[in-house]
Amino acid sequence: MSSFRKDKKDEEEGGSGNPFNNLEKASVLQEARAFNDTPVNPRKCTQILTKILYLINQGETLGAREATDAFFAMTKLFQSKDVILRRMVYLGIKELAPIAEDVIIVTSILTKDMTGKEDLYRPAAIRALCAITDTTMLQAIERYMRQAIVDKIPAVSCAALVSSLHMCQYSGEIVKRWVNEAQEAVNSDNIMVQYHALGLLYHIRKSDRLAVSKLVTKCTRMVLKSPYAACLLIRIACRLIKEEETGPDSPYLEFIESCLRHKSEIVIYEAAQALVNLKTSTSSTSSRELGPAVSVLQLFCSSPKPTLRFAAVRTLNKVAMTNPAAVAACNLDLENLITDVNRSIATLAITTLLKTGAESSVDRLMKQIATFVSEISDEFKIVVVGAIRALGTKFPRKHGVLMNFLSSLLRDEGGLEYKAAIADTIITIISDNPEAKEAGLSHLCEFIEDCEHTSLAVRILHLLGKEGPRTKQPSRYIRFIYNRVILENASVRAAAVSALAKFGALCDDLLPAILVLLARCRMDTDDEVRDRATYYYAILDQQSRALNSQYILNPLPVSVTSLEKALHLYTLDPVDTPFDIKSVPLALESETAEAEKKAGAPEGSRTIQIESTFEMLQAAEPTATRLDVFASQLANVPSVAALNLGPLFKSSQPSDLTESETEYVVQCIKHVFSRHVVLQFDCTNTLSDQLLENVHVALEAPEGWEILAEVPCPRLEYNVSGTVYIVLRMPEEISECLGSFTAVLKYKVRDCDPATGLPDSDDGYNDEYALEDVEISVADQVQRVMKTDFAMAWEEIGPTNELEDTYALTALNKLDDAVRTVVQFLGMQACDRTDRVPPGKSTHALLLAGVFRGGYEVLVRTKLAMSPQTEGVTMHLCVRSEDPSVSELITQAVG
Amino acid sequence: MGLFDKLASFLGIRRKDCNVLVVGLDNSGKSTVLNHFKSPDCKDSNVVPTIGFSVEKFKYKNVHFTAWDMSGQGRYRNLWEHYYSDCQGVIYVVDSADKLRLAVAKDELDILLKHPEIKSRSLPILVLANKMDLRDALSPVKIVQGLGLDQDLVKDKPWQIAATNALTGDGLAAGADWLSDQIQLNLSRRK
Repeated sequence: MSSFRKDKKDEEEGGSGNPFNNLEKASVLQEARAFNDTPVNPRKCTQILTKILYLINQGETLGAREATDAFFAMTKLFQSKDVILRRMVYLGIKELAPIAEDVIIVTSILTKDMTGKEDLYRPAAIRALCAITDTTMLQAIERYMRQAIVDKIPAVSCAALVSSLHMCQYSGEIVKRWVNEAQEAVNSDNIMVQYHALGLLYHIRKSDRLAVSKLVTKCTRMVLKSPYAACLLIRIACRLIKEEETGPDSPYLEFIESCLRHKSEIVIYEAAQALVNLKTSTSSTSSRELGPAVSVLQLFCSSPKPTLRFAAVRTLNKVAMTNPAAVAACNLDLENLITDVNRSIATLAITTLLKTGAESSVDRLMKQIATFVSEISDEFKIVVVGAIRALGTKFPRKHGVLMNFLSSLLRDEGGLEYKAAIADTIITIISDNPEAKEAGLSHLCEFIEDCEHTSLAVRILHLLGKEGPRTKQPSRYIRFIYNRVILENASVRAAAVSALAKFGALCDDLLPAILVLLARCRMDTDDEVRDRATYYYAILDQQSRALNSQYILNPLPVSVTSLEKALHLYTLDPVDTPFDIKSVPLALESETAEAEKKAGAPEGSRTIQIESTFEMLQAAEPTATRLDVFASQLANVPSVAALNLGPLFKSSQPSDLTESETEYVVQCIKHVFSRHVVLQFDCTNTLSDQLLENVHVALEAPEGWEILAEVPCPRLEYNVSGTVYIVLRMPEEISECLGSFTAVLKYKVRDCDPATGLPDSDDGYNDEYALEDVEISVADQVQRVMKTDFAMAWEEIGPTNELEDTYALTALNKLDDAVRTVVQFLGMQACDRTDRVPPGKSTHALLLAGVFRGGYEVLVRTKLAMSPQTEGVTMHLCVRSEDPSVSELITQAVG
Repeated sequence: MGLFDKLASFLGIRRKDCNVLVVGLDNSGKSTVLNHFKSPDCKDSNVVPTIGFSVEKFKYKNVHFTAWDMSGQGRYRNLWEHYYSDCQGVIYVVDSADKLRLAVAKDELDILLKHPEIKSRSLPILVLANKMDLRDALSPVKIVQGLGLDQDLVKDKPWQIAATNALTGDGLAAGADWLSDQIQLNLSRRK
C-alpha cells in the first residue's frame, strides 16, 4: 500500500526523484565559472562536473566555443588534490575531448598522473590521455604506454590495453610496435588483463592471416586462465575456420570441441554456439556432428540460472530452423521449459518444439501458447507467428487449428508489424494450401471489419479481389468489401472498389449487383475512389471478356515512371498520331522479385516473392527503373542518338567476355531496340604499367546483320573503366535474329610508369585481345509480362500462329531444374505460379508470357514430364503469338 | 569561509596560498626551475619538454605556491592567456644564452603585458635570466635591455630580474624571496 502511495506521489510531482531533472545548459555552464576560483571547492566543483556530464549524456550538444571554455576552466581543477574531483575531471576530459579545441594542452599533466604514485589516478589518466592524443602526440607518450601495458597493477594494464585498442583505429602503425608488451600481458594472471591483451594482439595482427593462425595455435596450447579470453579465442578460431574453409579435420575445430569440457559455463556456451553456427552454415550436416554441442545445450536447459536457460534455448531454436532432427533429442527438456516463469524462455521453447515436434503434438502446443500469448511482447509474438508459418507449410492438414489460432491472435491488441506478420502467415498458408483458402479468406474478412492499419487493409482487399472470385461462393465476400466502401478512409475505399471490379469481371452472375454498387461509388467524396469507380463501371458495362482481362485483371505492363516520362515527351512534341503505349518500355517487374528470391533465405523466400509482387502491383515503384537509366545513358552518346533507334526495349544483364582477374576485363550489355541492338562493352584495364588508346571491338557479324556505327573508347587508363558501343541492325527476317559474334578487343598500347600513370614514350604499338563470343538469344529479345489469367489470354490470341513441338531435355533430370532452365532460356514470365513444381510429381505444366521486341505478344505453354525409361525430361512446347515468325523463332531456338 | 579560517586569518597565521604562472620560450628551463623547488622525494630525474601545461605545488618560506608550468613551444603559447586571470604572479624564464631568440622572447613578453587581464593589475613579474653558467650567456643588464624592461610598459608593475642556474639552483632563492614578498605585500594590501 505504501509503495502504491509513493508511486502516485511521484507521478504527481513529475519524477522529482532525479535531482538533475530540468537542468539548463546555459545555467550549468555559468556555474562552471566556479572552476576558476582559488582555492578550489572540491565538493561544489564535483557537483557541477556531474551536471555537465549528465547534460552531455542526455544528448545536449555543446558548441565548440562553449566546450573549449568549459574545458579550460576544468584544467584549473588540476590544482586540487581531491581524489574524487580529479577522477571527475578525467571523465570530463574524455567527454569534452571530441568537441573542445586544443585539448592536447592536458597531455603533460595527464602523463604525470599516469606515471605518478597515486594508483587511483593512473588508469583513469591513461584513458583520458588516449582520448585526447592524436598520431603525432602519441609518439611522445609511447614510452609511457609501453610501461603501462606491462604494469603490475591490473587496472593500469587493462586501461592501457583497452586504450591501445581504441587508438588502433587512427594510428595502427604505432600501436603495432607494442606487440611485445601485449604478448607479455597475455601471460598475466589477471583475467581481464589477459582478455584485453589477447584482444589487442588479435587486432594488431588482424590483417595478416598467417600471424593470426600462429597466435591461435600458440594460445590454444597454453591454458588461458581467463574465461573471457577463451571466448574471444573461440571467436577468432571460428573466423579462421570460415576464412580458410578447412574441412572437419581443422585443428581449430578440435580446440573448440575441447572447450565444451571447459570448467567455465560461459566458455562452454560460447563453444557450443560456435559449433552450431559453423555446422549450420555449411549445408551438409548430419545431426550426429551437432551432437556434442546440442547435448551441452541440453544440460544448460535444466540449469537453475535463467540466463543460461535462455541462451541455450535460443541457440537450440536457431538449430531447429535448419536442422530440427538434431534438436529432437532435447524435446523432453524443452517441454519442461514451456512452463518456465520467464516468458521469453517459454516462448522460445515452444517455438522450438513447434519446429521439431510431430504432427500429433501441434494441438497440445497451440493450446499451451494460447494460455500466455497475451503476456509476451510483440517481438516474441512475431517469433511465435513465424513458427506457425513454418508449421503451416510442414503440416498442411493442420491448417484448421492454425487458422483458428491466428484469427484469435488477429483479434488481440498488437502493433502493425505483428498484425502484418499474422496476415502474411495466413496469406502464405492460403497460397500453399487450397483447402485452407475459404477459411483463411473469411478470417481475413473478419479482420478487416475492424482493422486500424490502412496498409494492411489495402493488402487484404487486394488479395480478396484476386482470390475471392474463384471460390465457390464469391457473393459472400461482396458484403465485407462493400462495408469498407461505406466505413473506411479514402485509400481503403479505393482498394475496395478495385476488388469489387475484379469480382464483376470474373463472376457473370454477380455483375448486375456489382454495377449497382460501383454506380453508388461514383458519388464518393474522394477523387481517386470516384475515378476508379467510373473507370471500372465503364469497362464492366461493355460486358466484354477481352476488355475485362486487359484493363481490370492484368496489371499495367509498363512502369509508372517510364509511362510518365513517355507521356511528358509526347506532350512536349505533339504529333497527329495518338499516343501508343507500346512505345513505353515494359516494366521489369519480376526481375527485382527474382533478385530477392536469390538473396532471401530458403525458408522465407517464397513469401518474400509473393509480397514483393503485391507491392509492385499496388504501387509501381517511383524510382527510375534500370531501363530508364540505360536509355538516358545511350541518349548521351551522340552517334547512337543520331541513329534514332526508337524506345529501348530491353537491356540484358552484363555478361563477362573475359575471365575475371585477367589483363583486361570486358563486360557486355545488350540493349535491344525494336529493330536494332546496341552492344555496350565496359572495359577495364587492370595493368598499372599500360595505357590503352583508341580501344575498339572488332566484331564479325553473320549474314543479315549490319554494323551501323561504332563508338571507340579514346583512352583507357589503369583501373578506370571505359565504354565501347557498337550499333547493329538486325536482319529483316525475325527467324534469323539469333546469332553469335566473334569479338576481338583491338587497341594501341603505350607503356607507362605505374606510379604516375604517365606514358614513358610517345609511340606505342597495336595489339589485340581475344574475347569470348557475344550471343544474342531469345531471352534478350523478350520482355516478361505478368498475366493474371493465362487461359483467357491464351484464348484471346487464338490458334492462328500456333506452333508446337516436342523435345527431350536429356541433360536435366529434375522437373524444377527443367522449369528454371526453360524460364531462363526464354526470358519470359511464368504465370499462375507455375514456376513452382509441387514435390513428388512427375509431370508439370509451365505457362509463360512475354512480349517480343516490336511489341508482339508471345504465350508459351509447356508440358514437362519425367520419362521413366530414358534419362531426362521430355518437353512439349506450344507457342502462340501475334506474328508467325516469332512463334517460329522460339520453337527453332529451343531446338 | 569557515569559523576556523576566520580565526586563523585574524591571528595572521593563515596559510598563504598563491598562484604563479611560469612562462617563457621553449627550452628556457621552466620545468627545471620548478623541479628545483619540489621536495626531494618527488623530483623528476629527467625533465622532458612539457606538452600543454603542468601544475606543480611547493612550499617556499611559509607560502604555498601553485605554479602553472606552461609549455613554451610555439603552438601552445596562445594558450597561456587562459590562465592569466587567476594568477598572483608571473615568472618569465629566459634562456640567456639564446641571443637569437631574445627578440622573440621580447615579443612574447610584450603580448603578455598588453593582455587586458595583466595590464590592469599590478602583478609582480620575476624575470629569470636562466642558464647563466653557459659561457656565452648575456648579462642580466643586457637581458633587461633586450626585453625592453626599462621602457614604459612595465613601469606600473613591480619587476625584478635574477640571474639563475636552474640545474644547480644558484640565484633561484633570491628571485623566489622577492616574489613571495611581493605577493604577500599584495595580499595584505587587498585586505
